Amino acid sequence: MMRRDAVIIGAGPAGMSAAIAMAEAGLKPTVIDENAQTGGQIYRQRPSTRNHRAAPSHNGVVADRGADLRRRFDAVSDRIELLCNRQVWGIFESNRLAVTAPHRWQMIEAEHLLLAPGAYEYVPPFPGWTLPGVLTPGAAQIMTKTQAVLPGQRVLVAGTGPFLLVVAAALHEAGVNVLGVVEAVSRAELLRCGWRLFADLGLLREGGGYLRKLRRAGIPIYDGRIIVGASGDGEVSHVKFAACDRSWRPKKNRSQVIEVDTLCVGYGFVPRTELAQLAGCQLRWSNELGGWIPLIDAGQQTTVRGVWAAGDGAGVAGALVAQEEGTLAGLAMARQLGAIDDDCFEARRRPVVRRLARLRRFRAALDSLSRIRVGLDELCTDETIVCRCEELTQTEIDKGIDAGNNDLRSLKVATRLGMGPCQGRMCAPAMARHLAWRTGQAMDQSTPLQVRPPIVPLTLGDLAEPVSMDLPVQEQMLRETIA
Amino acid sequence: MTINHSEITSSARRVLIHVDGKPIEAWEGQTVAAALWSAGRRQLRRTSRFEQPRGLFCGMGVCFDCLMQINGRPNVQACRIEVEDAMDVRTQQGPGTWGEAS
Repeated sequence: MMRRDAVIIGAGPAGMSAAIAMAEAGLKPTVIDENAQTGGQIYRQRPSTRNHRAAPSHNGVVADRGADLRRRFDAVSDRIELLCNRQVWGIFESNRLAVTAPHRWQMIEAEHLLLAPGAYEYVPPFPGWTLPGVLTPGAAQIMTKTQAVLPGQRVLVAGTGPFLLVVAAALHEAGVNVLGVVEAVSRAELLRCGWRLFADLGLLREGGGYLRKLRRAGIPIYDGRIIVGASGDGEVSHVKFAACDRSWRPKKNRSQVIEVDTLCVGYGFVPRTELAQLAGCQLRWSNELGGWIPLIDAGQQTTVRGVWAAGDGAGVAGALVAQEEGTLAGLAMARQLGAIDDDCFEARRRPVVRRLARLRRFRAALDSLSRIRVGLDELCTDETIVCRCEELTQTEIDKGIDAGNNDLRSLKVATRLGMGPCQGRMCAPAMARHLAWRTGQAMDQSTPLQVRPPIVPLTLGDLAEPVSMDLPVQEQMLRETIA
Repeated sequence: MTINHSEITSSARRVLIHVDGKPIEAWEGQTVAAALWSAGRRQLRRTSRFEQPRGLFCGMGVCFDCLMQINGRPNVQACRIEVEDAMDVRTQQGPGTWGEAS
């Protein structure tokens, strides 16, 4: 078995920043990521095998930030052990990580473990949401940015939050006919609460920049409106949206239908907590930070000693916050491992904490605007599929709840909710809210579905082939990976 | 129905894959899901219970809706696997079956 002082899972903004902080402190952290390259979702790079000339940057500021972080990472990369194309499928006692290698797997024991798994988009069910051609804004962005494929010709972008503007602008610049952005928060509400966004002028200006870009392109923003359904024969062809009130309940008599070939829809992000759950970390519910998140202290340590968490996976707050949290965690781990003393730790930590405080004030204002509201839970008809994997309808779930299954775990046993290959990642966040609203429980009383290894698909054949415990073989593999 | 970025694809190597027996051209480094989307194929599987078409949804390996039978192996995430020359890609029906790799 491989033993390492510090292992970071996730090479997005948080994981990269933590690795930089640790490497600069003289440690040699190991970074594991499921993708072929660093950057995570937000700073995702094009496949390196494709030897094309550089395409123009489609989202300037964000791409620049990614390039800057990568430069700092590359500068210390000789002190970072980077394991790409690897997925952690289990965490066992004393931080032993079961990690996939191509068609095999290996165990890595981590003395200190940082979880930086990131987040995925929140899409609660609505009629027609399973149709091909309905996808998340993030999926559309990946396709455009890294796959050289435009997601459609007539595309509507919908949901809530500033990410919609980023994606709409990127799609437009790539040549897509963006029909509009449907934003559930109304302009009036934005103006009423918007003064709090002045906590960070730079970020406010950045958001304004995207808005101006869309206005110049003649792309309408349908604010205070919500998607009520999608339809089509085999693929999405029509989308219906309606004006909504402050609870996001649609006004039936004020709806319109438009013809599309693609609908990008997302209502913010959900932290990925599978790894924290496998590691035994205590979770708490936070409406503002995207759902269940690991409970952490001021130094980003979870309730399990030696397990730390940072970035969107520890509470959705965006890439800038993730980078600061990653640095904080990296510094705290370096101090634990004796690489830096208390004075050095305090000196390096102070500016990070100051920046974080300002960023968090800005995020708090944004989060209060984008908070998920009850109208979103009332869009399904009886036949709408709410669990995409098991194809369970709203009626079936409600029958399960009304039969007395008033927590997710017993609802799962009663209905098969969340038993499919996504293990509830898609349905559980929306169904947890649905359960709470239907039964009148408070969200902080709810418990997430349990997570069991393997959390990524493995065949029995894969499992039968652990990598030899012989150290030279493992080192050979590492050399191949690092090369 | 979808357009390629000419500036990105002009210098990439082409790869030929077989989708339900039909040849489709893709670019090295593309995922199967993106290659199929580019060729106008957005239905990647049919579900077990209601036999409904499904396609790419999250695009990052979380939702498991883009499952296809690839080189004989069912339940492969088309959004995560990159195209290879002569890859055998098939629409997955229901839970999928193991088939012969071409």
